[in-house]
Amino acid sequence: MRNYPSLKFIDLFEKIFRFFDVNYPLMRKILQIKLTMDRRRAPTVFNERGKKEEDDESNKFLKSLWIYAFLGLILVPFILIRDSYIFPMSLVYGVLMFLLMTSMISDFSQVLLDIRDKNILNTKPVDKRTVNAAKIVHVSIYMFILTGTITGIPLLVSLIAREIPFFLVFLGQIILIDLFIVVVTALLYILILKFFDGEKLKDIINYVQIALSLSIVIGYQLVIRSFEFLELDFSFAAQWWQVFLPPVWYGALFEVLLGQSRDGYLLLFSVLAVIIPFLSIYIYVKSIPSFERNLEKLAHQGAAKKTKRDRIGPWVCSTKEERLFYNFAKKMMKNERQFKLKVYPSFGLSFIIPFILIFNELRMSSFSEIVDSRYFLSVYFASMMIPTIILMLRYSENYKGSWIFRALPITSMTPLFKGTLKAFMVKLYLPVFLVLSFLLMLIFSVGIWFDLIVVWLVSSLFVLICFKFLNEGKLPFSESFEMTQQETGKMFLLFIPIPIFFGIHFWMTTFEYGVYIYGAVLLIANIVFWRKL
Amino acid sequence: MLKCGYSNYRQMAVRKIEPILELKQLSKSFGNANVLHNIDLTVHKGEIIGYIGPNGAGKSTTVKIMLGLIDEFEGEIRIFGEDISKGDPAYKGRIGYVPETADLYENLTAYEYLTFIGELYGMEEEAVDQKAKQLVKLLGIEEVYHSRISSFSKGMKQKVLIISSMIHNPDLLFLDEPLSGLDANSVMIVKEILAKLAAEGKTIFYSSHIMEVVEKISHRIVLLADGKLVADGTFEQLQGQNKDGTLEEIFNQLTGFDEHDQIAEQFVSIVKEG
Repeated sequence: MRNYPSLKFIDLFEKIFRFFDVNYPLMRKILQIKLTMDRRRAPTVFNERGKKEEDDESNKFLKSLWIYAFLGLILVPFILIRDSYIFPMSLVYGVLMFLLMTSMISDFSQVLLDIRDKNILNTKPVDKRTVNAAKIVHVSIYMFILTGTITGIPLLVSLIAREIPFFLVFLGQIILIDLFIVVVTALLYILILKFFDGEKLKDIINYVQIALSLSIVIGYQLVIRSFEFLELDFSFAAQWWQVFLPPVWYGALFEVLLGQSRDGYLLLFSVLAVIIPFLSIYIYVKSIPSFERNLEKLAHQGAAKKTKRDRIGPWVCSTKEERLFYNFAKKMMKNERQFKLKVYPSFGLSFIIPFILIFNELRMSSFSEIVDSRYFLSVYFASMMIPTIILMLRYSENYKGSWIFRALPITSMTPLFKGTLKAFMVKLYLPVFLVLSFLLMLIFSVGIWFDLIVVWLVSSLFVLICFKFLNEGKLPFSESFEMTQQETGKMFLLFIPIPIFFGIHFWMTTFEYGVYIYGAVLLIANIVFWRKL
Repeated sequence: MLKCGYSNYRQMAVRKIEPILELKQLSKSFGNANVLHNIDLTVHKGEIIGYIGPNGAGKSTTVKIMLGLIDEFEGEIRIFGEDISKGDPAYKGRIGYVPETADLYENLTAYEYLTFIGELYGMEEEAVDQKAKQLVKLLGIEEVYHSRISSFSKGMKQKVLIISSMIHNPDLLFLDEPLSGLDANSVMIVKEILAKLAAEGKTIFYSSHIMEVVEKISHRIVLLADGKLVADGTFEQLQGQNKDGTLEEIFNQLTGFDEHDQIAEQFVSIVKEG
């Protein structure tokens, strides 16, 4: 355990804590322990690279910060806009709030929702005031670092390009927003826990984590594009419904303080911008006791859910055993949080990348040109998720449960593999593929349906290729996620066939009936190779 | 040794020393469910109380209320003569707790965890470390003192929990299944530790589902069923009130459970079906 710089910084405020009757040495000790524990877990943003190393004492969160610094660059062009305050600044605060909120929920929910705290800390002679102070300071340390990283460069740019008053208003509002976000997240948890059970909350946190990973990918795109927005025209008229958009409050405060506008709505928004953070702190403090009571729910299991009947399963599985494992794999994929967290981002990527490719092309050619082109073949890039997920199928949080396969009197593991792969194709790949196909048919024409079937057949073969290449006889759901690291290199190799498939298909379209013959060949190959598995 | 602890308790009781712990008309309900119903209990110095009851009888709830983890209840609780509803957590400094759910900060090493807990109890880091080092050595986990708890086996974690509950030399111990996961040798050590602590005048609240152990180590047995106190006395007294038998049999009688034979028979017959 070390004496962290953040702790030394907090030492400066020791008097303030003492003034509020907080047992400072104890609070500091709790913080030190919490920070030490944080160093030993990986945050979501770092998901792809994060791995467990026993003696690595450096904070993984700090290492992941550069991603946020990069995302912060999105804000820079908006700061440079001089025509208006409210429009660009509302966007700036919108992006900032989004980033802070998602990262708060995905990475710091553990701080707010740690149920071990109750048994460990509250049974000791420590007053609640001190424990709560430690909690709030703990979250604040991270908010401070995170906000600093995101807004560091934008603040510097604002100081150089927009002079001191602008800089000061910008900074002041960032602090207000920090307060607002911490408290609103906590209030959000209070609300969810009041009406739902802990399982639901964990689900919601899981979805936010997935959204965060996805938005970072889209964020990269936006950073590159955002500089193009510079030439847009900003006319802004305040509307009543903007009361529900907190970023607009802060944009409005800018307009009121530095601009000329004295619109009634804008004044109202500005007042909200200042008052709401403090009001929410008040509400939060009032609801802490009921929060702690409801926190108990996290420890309890949720009510049993009804499962829907699967109509596709019986169709795709030839034997009873295969169907059994198909259902098993389906449930594992649906219920494992870790699995979803690792897999859904690549899932979302598969969905987005075909469109990113099409939109990139749109900048160079007209829409009608694209409609006549073969660009719908970008759907091949949806199959990027296949290697990732097939690799992930090997891992599970409950990997220890896999002894059951070894203990069972099954003669061959083939039904287990087949069932799992089919469950993946039907439950994860097919929905994405269908939605993509639908959207592509809207953009291009219904006439591409046969090409899409060909793509599906290729994907189905690709699943087998990935499986052969990655599997090495390991059973599904039988290894700990901490082992993931070793195989990622191989996985990237498997992205290479995708452009090749794209190329072959494209080449086939240049012949008359080429695609149909190709399709027939693929169908036969599929039947042969799936049987041989 | 056990006999010694027991006679000690009798002497104390005779001398009428102020009780360590007093529950008066303690009731607690979650929503409409009545979890505890008018519990009266007085515990004196040096007693080992075997606190037993079926699942969901309200045992953990009672302990949680006494530790201030649940702060809304009806009735009065005095620990060390002090009314705990006043909200001063100082009394917790003389209590040690082993929770049933082995909650630990597993990302920490045993050393980090134990010194942290000691410091929460107001001890100096150096002093805790010195003490903890000797204790882990005695329980045979000194090689992993500087390893993370997450890598420990269930028994090793339990040893850390037991040490953390006693590191500050508490006067009152709440132990919920403290032997779970321990091997037979460690079980003997811990049982002996409890007897010796009681002989030293420490009070122990011992919850467990393993009746043989409770029968052997407790001076007094308190049985809770459906949130009510259904028995309170020495094992011999309980035997006197009911038919002779083991504590397990008395437990079955008092909780009105006599179907184990039928259930087992049905179970086996279903297992035998094709």
